[in-house]
Amino acid sequence: MSAQKKRNFQIEAFKHRVVVDPKYAEKTWKILEHAIHEIYNHNASGLSFEELYRFVTFAYTYLTDGLMVFLHIDRVTTMTYHLKEISKSIEAAQGELFLEELNRKWADHNKALQMIRDILMYMDRTFIPSTHKTPVHELGLNLWRDVVIHSSKTQARLLDTLLELVHRERSGEVINRGLMRNIIKMLMDLGSSVYQDDFEKHFLEVSADFYRCESQEFIESCDCGNYLKKAERRLMEEMERVSHYLDARSEAKITNVVEKEMIESHMNRLVHMESSGLVNMLVDDKYDDLGRMYSLFRRVQNGLVIVRDVMTAYIRDTGKQLVTDPERLRDPVDFVQRLLDLKDKYDKVINLAFNNDKTFQNALNSSFEYFINLNARSPEFISLFVDDKLRKGLRGVSEEDVEVVLDKVMMLFRYLQEKDVFEKYYKQHLAKRLLSGKTVSDDAERSLIVKLKTECGYQFTSKLEGMFTDMKTSQDTMHGFYSAVGHQLGDSPTLAVQVLTTGSWPTQPSATCNLPAEILWVCEKFKSYYLGTHTGRRLSWQTNMGTADLKTTFGKGQKHELNVSTYQMCVLMLFNNTDRLTYKEIEQATEIPASDLKRCLQSLACVKGKNVLRKEPMSKDIAEDDAFFFNDKFTSKFFKVKIGTVVAQRESEPENQETRQRVEEDRKPQIEAAIVRIMKSRRVLDHNNIVAEVTKQLQVRFLPNPVVIKKRIESLIEREFLERDKTDRKLYRYLA
Amino acid sequence: MRKEETVKLISAEGFEFVIHKDAAMVSQTIRNMLTSPGSFAETEHGEVTFPEISTTILEKICKYFYWNLQYASGKQTEFHIEPELVLELMMAANYLHT
Repeated sequence: MSAQKKRNFQIEAFKHRVVVDPKYAEKTWKILEHAIHEIYNHNASGLSFEELYRFVTFAYTYLTDGLMVFLHIDRVTTMTYHLKEISKSIEAAQGELFLEELNRKWADHNKALQMIRDILMYMDRTFIPSTHKTPVHELGLNLWRDVVIHSSKTQARLLDTLLELVHRERSGEVINRGLMRNIIKMLMDLGSSVYQDDFEKHFLEVSADFYRCESQEFIESCDCGNYLKKAERRLMEEMERVSHYLDARSEAKITNVVEKEMIESHMNRLVHMESSGLVNMLVDDKYDDLGRMYSLFRRVQNGLVIVRDVMTAYIRDTGKQLVTDPERLRDPVDFVQRLLDLKDKYDKVINLAFNNDKTFQNALNSSFEYFINLNARSPEFISLFVDDKLRKGLRGVSEEDVEVVLDKVMMLFRYLQEKDVFEKYYKQHLAKRLLSGKTVSDDAERSLIVKLKTECGYQFTSKLEGMFTDMKTSQDTMHGFYSAVGHQLGDSPTLAVQVLTTGSWPTQPSATCNLPAEILWVCEKFKSYYLGTHTGRRLSWQTNMGTADLKTTFGKGQKHELNVSTYQMCVLMLFNNTDRLTYKEIEQATEIPASDLKRCLQSLACVKGKNVLRKEPMSKDIAEDDAFFFNDKFTSKFFKVKIGTVVAQRESEPENQETRQRVEEDRKPQIEAAIVRIMKSRRVLDHNNIVAEVTKQLQVRFLPNPVVIKKRIESLIEREFLERDKTDRKLYRYLA
Repeated sequence: MRKEETVKLISAEGFEFVIHKDAAMVSQTIRNMLTSPGSFAETEHGEVTFPEISTTILEKICKYFYWNLQYASGKQTEFHIEPELVLELMMAANYLHT
């Protein structure tokens, strides 16, 4: 007996049999009217539901349509009458009690309405759908809305009271939230349009006004951080308010109002606020404030864009100052350290305050890329920084920390556009490190090379790896040498040769100096041994790169071991036979290039505590007519004395120019190779596209200059790799 | 069966059927009677008089209530209705909104 089945069996066959009392309608109505009165008077317990229901069922089953409509209208009037009574009593309520009265009456009405609906259920089921009248419950609500809420006196008063309460709560007073919630719920029950028109619309307007004034007041009196705090608190309050007694759908609207009034309209002013704006927050590492700013500005359109732009501009500015400050350029290690510190600082800001926002990270990266490349010497400095770290900075540091430092360096490396320049310097510095045996840890070196390899490919590091291999084979060669000819050497000086592959190492062509006879003999021995085992090779001595340990006895018999460069060794050996030599004599005897000789003499004679030579006249610089004496009075508390060469750590300006030029030269074949590669696959291409493709291909290593590319194309045309198209001069064709 | 869980249905002839509230509430009408927020006489006393329903029919209705509960809980059996009761039963069903 499902509902479906039963509908089909509407009991119509019975109709004609029932004799309808003409007064039945009236009678029914009297009973119902009485019941409704009783219900409104809270006096329902005397009523029998069954009885009432039976009447209604009967009436709506057997009465004619006309009578039913009459019944319906009557019902409306009865309810209206009651509601008018209620309305009056609500209007009469004084001040505070108004809402409470309204609330109580509403609860009563609801209850009564439900009872009436239950009684009239049969009518709802049969009569209403067929005549398209409003169902009882809805009718009751509509009546309530029209009669009570929209009564001329109540409507405005209700709105004012509600807004007044909200305002009081905003000013910090405690209000009866439960009551508030009931009233709002009533408005929502009456239909969302009632809630929106009668309350929400005005509420939003008033809120906007309120926050407009308040934000104006705040912004005049507070700094940015405090303002944001207040704005955030207001926002939280509004959300809380919504969750407590407003419709959930209002949340978006009211927060929107707050955002618009408190943030959006003051956005620029906040960000640029003097002495407390975004820039100051960044400077002072105010992560809390920054985080607040981020979460608030994220809510409004373009909010983050402003924050990001200001941050980017600021980072670029500071970065630019940093890389162009001539003071900083004096100390490359400090320079790079500062860059790293800067990066760390902003990484932390983005991590802590900006929720690791990708767009912010990108902005940070692009800023760094921008200003690091402003300084043409950045590649050199980064390499010098690595050099410094690997020479001494990382001594005694745990492996993980080493990795951290290297990773950071790699990060800076990634920002570089001229990666090949870095490679050049790195090679030089690595060579020096390897040859002087100053590397702190082989593992660190190798790990950095692996990193470079993953970043730039095999090609980039193949030569660097070649250097490591050379070091290794050299060790084996020396073992072989001593085991083969060691017995012939007697007590002549011990020799350690590193055989370097030309090409892998950044060798500077240097004039060889005259080695002292003892050394020369051993060297010749080695040469004949090496060439004996490896045929078809050529050996040449790089005397400018070696080191030597000398055992020396000074005037009072004190012995020291001096650790010096090969050049210095050559000079000192001369003093084995005499005590006084002039600059000219030394130069003649050793044939060391003038600039190197001056440098090495300076370190031997002019450095305090390490002056194993004495110079006349005493002065800081070496002149061509100076004379040198063996310093008998030399003392040192150490047995081993290391005499460093006065080396220009940073490249001097001409050296720098030279390196640049070499880099430019190295780039030419690379550009040509790229052009040929591209043309080989494309056959025909116009000029602009070639330039674009070449730039794309070489970007990992450096940023090629279009003018240079053009020159290379011309050179290739000359050598008949390419030709210009005969009709369109802008097109190039690949030949062969 | 505790008293709060039951309801007394009284037929036209005065026979009383005491059944579970759950069962009685299969009828939408009875459900409304028993759950209406205001307190009608029926809600208070827990008994409903049906002056228009005869004992035979009311008994059948009560059986149907229980059968319906079983049916809803997955036990699908047939509910037998004697042909001579059909019309009256249908009127009652319409009335009780079952």
